[in-house]
Amino acid sequence: MFNVDDLFDYTSFNIDREAHIVLDPERCLVCDHRYCTTTCPARCYTWSEKDRKMTFVFVGCVECGTCYAVCDSHAFTRWRYPRGGFGVSYRMT
Amino acid sequence: MTARAFEAIVVGGGPAGSCAALTLARAGVDVALVERGAYPGEKNMFGGILHRMPALEKIFPDFWDRAPLQRHIVKKVVTFMTPGRSLNVEYETESFDETPYNGYTVLRPKFDRWLASKAQAAGATLITRTTVDGVIMENGKVTGIRVLRGAGELRAPVVVASDGVLSFTAAKAGLRKPRFDVKHLALGVKALLELPKEVIDDRFGLVRDQGASREFLGCTGAVHGGGFMYTNYDSISVGLVLHLGSLRESGKTPYDLLNGFLDQPQVAKLVRGARLLEYSAHLIPEGGYEMTPELVGDGIVVAGDAAGFCYAKGPNLEGINLAAHSGTLAGEAVVDARAAKDHSARSLAGYQRRLEQSFVLQDLKNFRRAPRLLEIDRLYQQYPEMICDYMDRTYRVDGTPKEGLLGMGLRMARKQVGMKNLLRDAWTAWRSI
Repeated sequence: MFNVDDLFDYTSFNIDREAHIVLDPERCLVCDHRYCTTTCPARCYTWSEKDRKMTFVFVGCVECGTCYAVCDSHAFTRWRYPRGGFGVSYRMT
Repeated sequence: MTARAFEAIVVGGGPAGSCAALTLARAGVDVALVERGAYPGEKNMFGGILHRMPALEKIFPDFWDRAPLQRHIVKKVVTFMTPGRSLNVEYETESFDETPYNGYTVLRPKFDRWLASKAQAAGATLITRTTVDGVIMENGKVTGIRVLRGAGELRAPVVVASDGVLSFTAAKAGLRKPRFDVKHLALGVKALLELPKEVIDDRFGLVRDQGASREFLGCTGAVHGGGFMYTNYDSISVGLVLHLGSLRESGKTPYDLLNGFLDQPQVAKLVRGARLLEYSAHLIPEGGYEMTPELVGDGIVVAGDAAGFCYAKGPNLEGINLAAHSGTLAGEAVVDARAAKDHSARSLAGYQRRLEQSFVLQDLKNFRRAPRLLEIDRLYQQYPEMICDYMDRTYRVDGTPKEGLLGMGLRMARKQVGMKNLLRDAWTAWRSI
């Protein structure tokens, strides 16, 4: 019923130029679980086994805190909420 | 924005923060309510039920006529389900259909905005679009906050940290550990589904603005968690609460689990024809008393989710009422501290005392072992299966003779979970709740 790839059809965002979460992909290379890829409810993290590379897209982030809690590889060089007025914008929920 | 000084700063315009700011402003304190969203409620999501809030009813005796509420809850249903089968335990009472109502469904962008506007009307300065990025500490005392905007800081002799489950404000003031234990957290995911009011009334057996609360166990496969479905006026909030440790290990994604829940036939017919309006997700502090941080420091108190004041366990799922109450008590304690011209931890300890005398800490203490109940694997698949098997045998007519109900129950328990496990779980449950 809900396709997370269509997230932008349902949930509104005010997208900042600057990322509020910054990842050091080198840390993800040695991570043995990459829990972020499955637990993120907005699928912001994708791991490519072929390229051995973690891709993180901050624009669809719903600021739930899951990645912050499940990452134990100290992969975040920055994890904060977006600047005021930016990020996810719930209208109805 | 110039670097202005206030008498108190409240971080976060959710229910805890707005109640703290409201209490402070009503006592004549020059208070800033700092919110990172474009409006309070923009960043907030929850399952959908707001329980009765006695502290707010004192200020607004006709709360239910004023606040932007959806429906009041008259019916509570717990469903034990397996794919294709379910046992519903339903409680409905006319007393919940009378004021003061016991609980409501609300939509956060509307409700939180309303509550913050009341703090503003009482004299609080609402500062939106302002993300707090740290606290200013002088000689071990909190004396203000750093913000990602304008002059970059706001000063006050006391800060109320009500900035939600991750509370960076409490962390930076050294009141909570920088790392979370995933066992103490759950992830809530929710779909807001539009349905005409009449359809909701018919499907859930409601009239006027009566509402129903439905909670589900056995709908998340092997992942520890449960489902919920709450009726708004002309939409329903449907979602899952997934224990983060278990979700993480399972390799399942929250949206696939949510779709699986919506696809189960018993659920599918309730949401048939609905249109998805909004998808949202957030962490929930589920650790209860065991995850409570230091609640008071020099120049700072912690309230709401930031303090872990939530129970997504036991017989009732509560959160905003604890947030609102703790925010109010934080406000009162700060008013006292200000009158004593002393914002030290010792002076602010009145907050801790008030909490201990209130339902907030008493409930959390009483149910402090409840998270352990939720760690029982069997709760999420085996027990719902067993309960449904039992009901099936009780009702099924197939030409074979019936067993005694007690004997049958014991035989099934022995076969499906083992007596030892059953007794162990019963003991855990007894100790927990």
